[in-house]
Amino acid sequence: MAALEVRGLRKQFGGVVALNGIDLDIDTDRVVGIVGPNGSGKTTLFNVVTGVHPATGGAVFWHGQDITNIGAHRIARKRLVRTFQQAMSFPGLTVDENVRIAWEQGRKGDGRWASPGMILEFVGLAPLSKAIAGSLPFGSLRRLGLAVALGVSPELLLLDEPGAGLNDSEAQAFAAVIAQLPPQGIGVCLIDHDMDMMADLCDRLIVLDFGTKIAEGPPGEVLADPKVREVYLGPDKKAAAS
Amino acid sequence: MPVTDNSAGKTGAAPEGARARDRLALLTADNAAVPLPAGVQAITAILLAVLLIALPWLGLGYRFLSIAITTLYTAIGLYGLGLQFGQAGIMSVGHAALMGVGAYASAILSVQLGLGLWASLPFAMALSAIVGGVIGLPTLRVGGQHYIIITFCFCALFVIVLTNGGTFTGSATGLDVGSVTPLPGINFDKLSNNYYLVLAALFLAVVATYLIGNSRYGRTLRAIRENEQLARSVGINVDLHKLGVLMVSGLFAGLAGVLQLYYLRHISPTLFGAFPSLYLALMVMLGGARYLYGPLIGAVVVNFLPEVLNLDPVDSRIAYGVCLLLVILLLPGGVGAGIKNIYCAITGGFETQKQRGSNGRA
Ligand SMILES: Nc1ncnc2c1ncn2[C@@H]1O[C@H](COP(=O)(O)OP(=O)(O)OP(=O)(O)O)[C@@H](O)[C@H]1O
Ligand SMILES: [Mg+2]
Repeated sequence: MAALEVRGLRKQFGGVVALNGIDLDIDTDRVVGIVGPNGSGKTTLFNVVTGVHPATGGAVFWHGQDITNIGAHRIARKRLVRTFQQAMSFPGLTVDENVRIAWEQGRKGDGRWASPGMILEFVGLAPLSKAIAGSLPFGSLRRLGLAVALGVSPELLLLDEPGAGLNDSEAQAFAAVIAQLPPQGIGVCLIDHDMDMMADLCDRLIVLDFGTKIAEGPPGEVLADPKVREVYLGPDKKAAAS
Repeated sequence: MPVTDNSAGKTGAAPEGARARDRLALLTADNAAVPLPAGVQAITAILLAVLLIALPWLGLGYRFLSIAITTLYTAIGLYGLGLQFGQAGIMSVGHAALMGVGAYASAILSVQLGLGLWASLPFAMALSAIVGGVIGLPTLRVGGQHYIIITFCFCALFVIVLTNGGTFTGSATGLDVGSVTPLPGINFDKLSNNYYLVLAALFLAVVATYLIGNSRYGRTLRAIRENEQLARSVGINVDLHKLGVLMVSGLFAGLAGVLQLYYLRHISPTLFGAFPSLYLALMVMLGGARYLYGPLIGAVVVNFLPEVLNLDPVDSRIAYGVCLLLVILLLPGGVGAGIKNIYCAITGGFETQKQRGSNGRA
């Protein structure tokens, strides 16, 4: 039994069907990638799984327990934690306070970090601990978003486009940090558009299109799948997607 | 692009003009999140305490002391508003009504059951807290702007209920109470003793605010203020804490209301209507809701301004409006922010605090 099981998950915004019956099994010992074109429902999947939006239908199970629509804060306390595509931090507070807030909430579990400073050390933000989050450059802000999520002591971390807006070297450095998580017992499920990075980083890829899962498997296989190539490139094109 | 918002001290090589501009930005910034060194905080607290304790001995006269008492009990209510607005980001423009709930609860308990200040205080505070929470209930479904309107409506409704409450609320004339039951050796009919009573309560309010601001609870409130969605996703029960802080704010309001009642010895509905409520909102913004002494500063400015400038009520309203505009334009963090920034500019920026890394707020 996988740690996170998504069964027939549906989400409708008025007439827009953002998720059309998604089934997923995600374990906490590896990096799983979710890809798909803009508007395919990736963020909505995270939002519904983590209780930000209520599901229209279907169910989400976490360690066998039904967590569908139980509320975002309860889900976070079960150590299923996510980051946001935008609005990653508490902008008016210091970096240290940002992480401390999350760390104080997560401490009740078997906290893996003895102090918020250790998390900042891990993501490479320790020298900026007294800076105001809102004044950080974008790359540091992404790291802070990750640090805040790590503060909750997640078992599974859902990262929504952690590499978006970063330059190549920043994105690589960020990918290196993410790759260190599963060996420490923190499963990662991430959304990103950078196929090269995803192919390197992920053990498994899931492809969404129009709110439906169209492919799933090892990155090499999935990216070679004609259905996936069609979604990304239109029919009959050969170049690698990025 | 500076990494921190307080880099002015570091730009030693920058041209003088740029430095001056940095300085100005530093002066007008809202630096509530950056702590002052513990020593500075302690000295400020001691100086302020000495000044407030010595006030009745300075021979400033009966009128001055009366305004001082008004200022201090108002400040107590403002500390509650400072908590809900400054920390949790929930503004109210009906806060005088919440003080009124405490004041009227205490007055009614006195008239109906003969309870004095001490006996009625816990009930009055509890009722204010409950009412504060109940008004807050709709906010969980609607946004902050709606809450502001709800508080305004509550304020209007409260005055209507009081005015039509017959002998129970004293209608438009209001209610009278006796003097504060004396403690051994302390007769509160003496103005300076009444002052010390209110000062003691203010002391508790400031200490409570300081402790909350530096606690996990305070950080939780600030998280909600800064990013509600992220707060939820790190496990904070946002709804519960919003109601909670409105109730805590109600406790402060109840305390302030009872002290107001027993200082004036007579209350009527107009004391708790729209204008007093707007003044409270004005004071907390003027002083700086996020700063430990902001509410007190706001209360001092608004209560003493007409006195110092010799303004009649209409002129003082204009003066308040001008003050509020100036603060919004120049000092978004309030006068508290300005004072802290001036101190930091004089002592060479925030570098020293960074090294000491204390946790408090100015
Ligand atoms: N809060 C919302 N209200 C209404 N419609 C929404 C909402 N959130 C998402 N949608 C719609 O649901 C669909 C899926 O959006 P979603 O944000 O999940 O896509 P995505 O795969 O994350 O895209 P991107 O790669 O651009 O981030 C889109 O059609 C979008 O317009
Ligand atoms: Mg998205």
